[in-house]
Amino acid sequence: MRYAWQKVKCASWRTWQGLREWSGDAAYEKYVASASRGGSKKVLSPTEFYVEQLNRRYSRPNRCC
Amino acid sequence: MKRILATIVWIVIACTGALALGAIAFHRGEPLNATWFVLAAACFYCVAYRLYSAFIAAKLLALDNTRATPCERRDDGRDFVPTNKWVLFGHHFAAIAGPGPLVGPTLAAQFGYLPGTLWLIAGAAFAGCVQDFVILFCSIRRDGKTLGQMAREEVSERGGFLAQVAVLAIMIILLGVVALVVVNALKSSPWATFTLAMTIPIGLLLGVYLRYFRPGRVMEASAIGVSLVLFVVVAGQWVADSPALAKVFTLSGIALAFAIIAYGFAASSLPVWLLLAPRDYLSAFIKAGAMFSLAAGILLVRPQVLMPPLTRFIDGNGPVFAGKIFPFCFITIACGAISGFHSLISSGTTPKMIQREGHARFIGYGAMLLESFVGVMAMVAACAMPPGVYFAINSPASIVGATPEAAAQTISSWGYPLTAQTMTGLAHAVGEQTLLNRAGGAPSLAVGMAQIFSNSIGGERLLSIWYHFAIMFEALFILTVLDAGTRVGRFMVQELGGRVWKPLGRMNWLPAILLSSAIIVGAWGFFLYQGVIDPLGGINSLWPLFGISNQLLAAVALVVATTILLKMDRLKWIWVTLLPMTWLVVVTMSGSYEKIFSANPRIGFLAGANALAAQIAAGKIPAAKIAETQRLIFNQRLDAAVTAALAGMILVLIVEAAVQWYTILGRKREPVLCETPYVATQWAEGD
Repeated sequence: MRYAWQKVKCASWRTWQGLREWSGDAAYEKYVASASRGGSKKVLSPTEFYVEQLNRRYSRPNRCC
Repeated sequence: MKRILATIVWIVIACTGALALGAIAFHRGEPLNATWFVLAAACFYCVAYRLYSAFIAAKLLALDNTRATPCERRDDGRDFVPTNKWVLFGHHFAAIAGPGPLVGPTLAAQFGYLPGTLWLIAGAAFAGCVQDFVILFCSIRRDGKTLGQMAREEVSERGGFLAQVAVLAIMIILLGVVALVVVNALKSSPWATFTLAMTIPIGLLLGVYLRYFRPGRVMEASAIGVSLVLFVVVAGQWVADSPALAKVFTLSGIALAFAIIAYGFAASSLPVWLLLAPRDYLSAFIKAGAMFSLAAGILLVRPQVLMPPLTRFIDGNGPVFAGKIFPFCFITIACGAISGFHSLISSGTTPKMIQREGHARFIGYGAMLLESFVGVMAMVAACAMPPGVYFAINSPASIVGATPEAAAQTISSWGYPLTAQTMTGLAHAVGEQTLLNRAGGAPSLAVGMAQIFSNSIGGERLLSIWYHFAIMFEALFILTVLDAGTRVGRFMVQELGGRVWKPLGRMNWLPAILLSSAIIVGAWGFFLYQGVIDPLGGINSLWPLFGISNQLLAAVALVVATTILLKMDRLKWIWVTLLPMTWLVVVTMSGSYEKIFSANPRIGFLAGANALAAQIAAGKIPAAKIAETQRLIFNQRLDAAVTAALAGMILVLIVEAAVQWYTILGRKREPVLCETPYVATQWAEGD
């Protein structure tokens, strides 16, 4: 029973994380993690990153017919 | 033992699919249950994915999971971001799923349910999915390069330029056509117009919230936005019931066209975080929810498909659009079976985020299968309503008449019984003044969806709410395509225009932004206006033009893919891309020829223009209408020129590619493959 509960908790957590990644909620966390791995000197603030990311995304085809 | 069990399961799936397809194809007489459509599509997709995509992955592409993908080598947390394959599947599907697979099958239902359904299923498995998958693979092997860049490097310089121009032209036509679908859905409907208009202040509110209060918290902002949107869907009824407010939101086609043009200009020029992005988030959530609900509704309600397998309009004289089943059924279905536009997504964001080459099969091939399934559901929703009602909604007034009585008489004379009371009763039930002559596919799809939803929840009482929810859902995500497309088009205009006049290429210079936005909006606005003033409803001429241009782009993608595969020495399996490419070229070239040269004025642009000119010469056009008729003549001739130019560009590209193929096959020159060199992955197998 306990094992099954653990499994359900784990699956729910992964689904939630997947949803956060899909929606873009987790984008800044991923960027910070990547910047720290790459040893970047200047890390953008959440607002700067949000605006910069949108500008990049909407400058190329990202929605289809 | 496990292997034997798996084989048995797959045999059962294949047999069930064959049985369901047989039922769809050979059933005559009594109406067929929609469950057969769902079963046939689902089983066919499973078998195609299990066998054909595995064959392509292993034999044609030889996917290599030991090879580092672009996101591993160039991880920057911005463009190149390693992403879980399920999440990336969601991203990719959200990007490729637009209004095409909803509108195309709805329009093609005029031939009956059979041809469209078969093409949706088979076309996706053997053409659309193959294109998306192979282009995704090619782009992964080239650090996420775009289709245009690959065409330039692998085919020729000129090929790349032609691909770029074709993309811009297709985008302009696409935006004009989808805007026309919205206009026809909102025309004279204060409820629908109010609901959609309110999504603009809601979008602005979310934009400010996401920018200044909770940067990047997309889910909580979207939850607020979706609640507000659902509220305005209900509030729309109060607006429609109030004579003063209803008057404000009851707009003619021309007024709506100018409102949408102004919106497109604003969305393209304003900062992206203010309006475009938050509306896109809203649209993505509502789109996912509505598609899931439609699938669940069809399975729950299991409606009867009332449309016959084949209608009398396979002869080419259909009221929704003119043209015979070949090539127009294939052109009209468009994105539900194959879409050239997908190749821009497959060579855009997705290859930069994919963790393993092996995931390309699931994401490239699998997401397109799901899109095709959406098309099958749209077909079911359109065919579940009585054929008479379907034709009354989708036919222009010039063919069926503008009153319920006239429409009922004309449509009943075709063999599809309809009474005037049915149409007035239905319009009243969904809270509209009329449902007649609402060409474009969106209103009839909304009626079909509303009937399925209301049979699941709420019954007749909620029919009007469900109808307006469906209209809002369709219009919202069509406008998302419109504003995102206008912005991308603006960048393309700035990039191309910057070569002629440098300041125009400066992306942050306000006059350049305004000028290029005006150019792109003016271009698609012209097609929109042309559709609105067209007495045949516009969809008759513009949707085939969109279908042709979109599938020509698919032909470009398959030409590039075939060239790359030949360079990779995959001659034995080259038919995988060569056959769909040949089919597309045949379909689009015949379609282009018919649209330009057919003697039938409802099909051929030139014949249509000549017929109007003859009417003026014979004095049959009243003096007050001569200027408008001359404008229609100009539009028809322009459409002919645009079709010829697109077909010509693609023919040049094919000739360029054929020269390359001859050189490669004749071993006249060592083929140069512009792949990124192999780098072994550092990630463990399970990553």
